[in-house]
Amino acid sequence: MLTYIAHRLLTLIPMVIVISFLIYLGLELTPGDAVSHMIPPDAYGSMDPDRLQELRESLGLGQPFFVRYWIWISGVVQGDFGYSLAGGVPIADIFLDRLPATLELSFAALLISTILGSILGTISALTRGSATDQGLTVVGMLGVSIPEFFFGLVAILVFAINLDWLPVGGRTLPGYDSFWDRLPNLVMPALVLSIMMTAGVMRYARSSMLDALSRDFIRTARSKGMPEWRVNILHGFRVALTPVIVLIGFRLPVLIGGSVIIEQVFQWPGIGKEFVSAVRSQDYPLVMMVALFSVLAVLIASLIVDLLTAIIDPRVRLGE
Amino acid sequence: MVDAPITRPRTRRDGQFDRLRDRETSMQGKAKRGGRFLGKFLSNRLALVGFVIFAIICLMSLFAPLLAQHDPMSPNLRAIAQPPSVEHWFGTDKTGRDIFARVLYGGRVSILVGLGSALLSALIGVIIGVYSGYVGGWLDWIAMRVSEIFMSFPQIILVLLLVAILGQSLLNLIVIFTLTGWGGIYRMARARMLSIREEEYVQALRSFGLGPARIAYKHMLPNALGPIMVNITLSTAAFILQEAGLSFLGLGVPLSIPTWGNILNAAQDLRVLEQNWWIWLPVGATISLFVLSVNFIGDGLRDATDPSQQG
Repeated sequence: MLTYIAHRLLTLIPMVIVISFLIYLGLELTPGDAVSHMIPPDAYGSMDPDRLQELRESLGLGQPFFVRYWIWISGVVQGDFGYSLAGGVPIADIFLDRLPATLELSFAALLISTILGSILGTISALTRGSATDQGLTVVGMLGVSIPEFFFGLVAILVFAINLDWLPVGGRTLPGYDSFWDRLPNLVMPALVLSIMMTAGVMRYARSSMLDALSRDFIRTARSKGMPEWRVNILHGFRVALTPVIVLIGFRLPVLIGGSVIIEQVFQWPGIGKEFVSAVRSQDYPLVMMVALFSVLAVLIASLIVDLLTAIIDPRVRLGE
Repeated sequence: MVDAPITRPRTRRDGQFDRLRDRETSMQGKAKRGGRFLGKFLSNRLALVGFVIFAIICLMSLFAPLLAQHDPMSPNLRAIAQPPSVEHWFGTDKTGRDIFARVLYGGRVSILVGLGSALLSALIGVIIGVYSGYVGGWLDWIAMRVSEIFMSFPQIILVLLLVAILGQSLLNLIVIFTLTGWGGIYRMARARMLSIREEEYVQALRSFGLGPARIAYKHMLPNALGPIMVNITLSTAAFILQEAGLSFLGLGVPLSIPTWGNILNAAQDLRVLEQNWWIWLPVGATISLFVLSVNFIGDGLRDATDPSQQG
């Protein structure tokens, strides 16, 4: 097991290094540099080129590309993420400020889609071929076909504007102290964000459950005279759930992707919303750090999934 | 059902066992006759419905100049934010442009982006995947690592990162989608090649002295076409959704070109959302319907080409 973990880590680290290098290289290719972003465009043209050059030298921009990359990446490793071009705020502060909102939204959506998706998928598998099953299949198809933000817009119109049950958007207001105060704000974005993933989990849970129900141990359980519901829940569902949990780890990129747009729709003050405005205002240092951290999140999630599978299924780690 | 005659007295267990066996046999019969047949019939019918919707939307976009009585770009200040009427079927937007015309013309660009990016990424993915999957070696190793790098990004983060680097334009968007999308189809093509590499006909061709490129592209590729077709349809659907999402954020196709996402962009304004439903609701429904139809086609193709997926 230890060698397996070591092996996975050894393939992970070069990957992170290469990706961080590519991100740095990509942003190197963008027009302008830190100096031209710091000085307002109208003042930039009238400035003395020598002064500009001096400023570049003092910021270390005159050094060769690889040296600058090294300075940047060693800073990142030590927790110095640099500064946002908008207002010169340290990026670490932006992360600390915005990350809780994104995590709250993502975990809520993850929870909803896991529970709802596996229940609906199991129902679909148990009633296989019936009207319920086919209805659920079509509903699942609708779930992956309708753009999430369109769901969001309709939800705002119906539940926030027309029925006035839930707030239009935002996360906290002055006077909100506890999680329960802002729960009404969380409900809509979390539900909308979970739709696409619920549909995915449902589809996967259905086929996983069908697979489990066709195994020999199910037949054994039935022949022992075990009631049908116990066969399904205790034996079928439990076995079918394991691959579904693994799938959820792999769904993390989908979740991050969805939250970028959903945060915008509901004005949820998370990393995704920050990322979109950074791309709009060409705040490259911030764009770079968000991209790097989302890659890290995905790689770590897939590492955890791999380790979990190795624990559950000895064939995986012995095969290495 | 022929049973050996029971000589001992029947117990409660015997009755229970008979009921169990009856249930199992009756379920088997149902699965064969009812479930699968009905499921297959329905899925094909859905694929057919999907194809009809797909064709209607494509044709309407293609013949947009004939169907739309108004210009999609020219503002009309005398008809600002008009609700649907005989003159303007879907109403007009905030600058008085006819929304029906914009949806039709927008469909041209959105479908072009979706289908174009899907075909281009399939082309790249298949060319690399088929060859490197068959030949293996260092070429395969490099291609695999490159695709891993692309796939460790959440797709939308990579797309937005590339938008930040390359800038916003229609062509850039297609290039970006192609760059971010080729990995999936490459892996699928490669896996398919690996599984048929050791088949006898391939070994026979090799022993005849055929070159690797000829074996890979001419003789093995046709056996992998089914899943590739499915993948192209599903990624068309995904790209159309992504274009809509990006343009909704204002970061996709430049706002001056009408696309489905750009029309929806107006709904970021809460007043439009509340008071002018016709500006965003019909477009959103059109996107949903189109993507749904493409997904139905994809599912139908999968059922038709891959018997192991049924159930």
